[in-house]
Amino acid sequence: MNISRIKAILLQELYITKRSLEVILDLFFFSIMTIVVFGFVSLFLTGNITGASAHYLILGLILWEIIRINQYSISVGALWNVWSRNLSNMFIAPISVREYLAAHMISGVVKTFTIFIIISLVSSLFFKFNIFNLGPLNLFFFFVNLIIFSWTIGIALLGVIFRFGTRIQALAWGSIFLFQPLTASFFPVTVLPNFLQKIAFALPPTYVFEAARAALVDPTFNWKFMLIALVLNAFYFLVSLWFFNYMFRRSKETGQFARLEG
Amino acid sequence: MSKVILEIKNLVKAFGSLRVLDHVSFEIVAGKVVGLLGPNGAGKTTTINILLGVTNANSGKIKYFGKDFYQNREYCLQRLNYASSFNTLQGRITVWENLLVFALLYGLKNPKKKIEELASYFEITELLPKRFWDLSSGQKTRVNLIKSLLNDPELILMDEPTASLDPDIADKTLSLIENLRADKNISILYTSHNMDEVTRICDQVIFLDRGKIVAQDSPLGLTKRITNSQLLLTFDGDKVALEKYLEGEKQVFKFTHPYTVLINTQEKAIPKIIFGVSNLGLWITSIEIIKPTLEDVFLQIARGKDEHF
Repeated sequence: MNISRIKAILLQELYITKRSLEVILDLFFFSIMTIVVFGFVSLFLTGNITGASAHYLILGLILWEIIRINQYSISVGALWNVWSRNLSNMFIAPISVREYLAAHMISGVVKTFTIFIIISLVSSLFFKFNIFNLGPLNLFFFFVNLIIFSWTIGIALLGVIFRFGTRIQALAWGSIFLFQPLTASFFPVTVLPNFLQKIAFALPPTYVFEAARAALVDPTFNWKFMLIALVLNAFYFLVSLWFFNYMFRRSKETGQFARLEG
Repeated sequence: MSKVILEIKNLVKAFGSLRVLDHVSFEIVAGKVVGLLGPNGAGKTTTINILLGVTNANSGKIKYFGKDFYQNREYCLQRLNYASSFNTLQGRITVWENLLVFALLYGLKNPKKKIEELASYFEITELLPKRFWDLSSGQKTRVNLIKSLLNDPELILMDEPTASLDPDIADKTLSLIENLRADKNISILYTSHNMDEVTRICDQVIFLDRGKIVAQDSPLGLTKRITNSQLLLTFDGDKVALEKYLEGEKQVFKFTHPYTVLINTQEKAIPKIIFGVSNLGLWITSIEIIKPTLEDVFLQIARGKDEHF
């Protein structure tokens, strides 16, 4: 791993982010507006529903944004270079795929953490929901597990983009929402039909969302759920890296990668 | 013996059942400019893409600086670069920011100094704070050339760097490339559809057609392979006598004006024709010998008349 090359990609990400209204809208504006809407819904529910369940929505949303922003950052980060016909320029420099992915993973975490802090503060200040009450250990493991899951999806989608080009680019920002109901982000997993519950428990974020909802009442750290989530994440992450490498190689074999230019 | 910078052996590439490169082999020695020419679909861009590692070949060997490309990708890419009018830099960010990103990708110790030096050399210092997408085609080409020089490459692959430029800017760009070559002794693999350009800057030309090398020589050497030239004579005197003489000599000719004749002939027959016409008592007022150009060679190959190559 060469630090200078990772720094180069991070710097490019920073320049693009600060000069792109789309990124600012998609990440900052969209996140803040959603938290405002969900915050008001939570306030309404607090007045009508007793107990912690009134906060399920806003809790689910803050944690869901970790997945969405990190995955978006990785998948769409590459598209900026595809749209600018600059991707092959990047890869004819001596950067390795590992360095490229590492840079996008770091960039995703930085963006995600920044927005997580902003929306957590908004929810605490305006909607009387302080996610930090869940405790630092809980929050750390929730964050780590959701970040690894979103890296996994982001890298897999990047492989699909490299292989099939811009014709499937909408997947970069749309496909993640498939996991929103499947991981029971906003409601207890028992709400799902049985067969969907089985799928849900095969996905690491489900354990995070379940543990987080439980922590609203009792913030005791749920080792079992976090361990299962970590093991599942490790497995899916390795599969995702293998899948990306396969798609990247196929893209170079079919000539698609060289044509990935807008 | 000159140092070999790039050596390609038996490169084969097929997309499905379509073979686009068929056992292509050539080499580039230090300081030389090699033109890669051919009609559309000949395999030029595929060759460049394989040489850059963005497309995988089915078989064949590529060596840069004596080292296998696939096993030493990072080492090789650090010492070469690429410029093309087709791929541009990141449009949303400034020229300076783009160049800084690439300077870091190539691990430059003092990127600021290098960018400023090159910007000054290519006279684009005032463009550094501008967004890349706000530049004209000519300015973008110059910025691309700067990008391709950031790592002091020993070899640059140039894929139609002057395409879409107006003749004046294209000429300036070519002059910059010529100066670069003179100043830094860089080797260049150059593709273009402009034969005058290729004749001007290339030491050697490789013609590709349907994935195969069909001719390889210096531009002069290639044009010499076409043994026919055209002789344009303007004369004063008996036109009928001239016609009879040329028919007797079995020459192919046509009158472009009443007293101007264009004769297609073997180059070595030209003195004899001029002497013969003079002996007819005609007064030759002008003689022009039109030699074959690289474009004629290209057209012969593109039209499938390349048997004698």
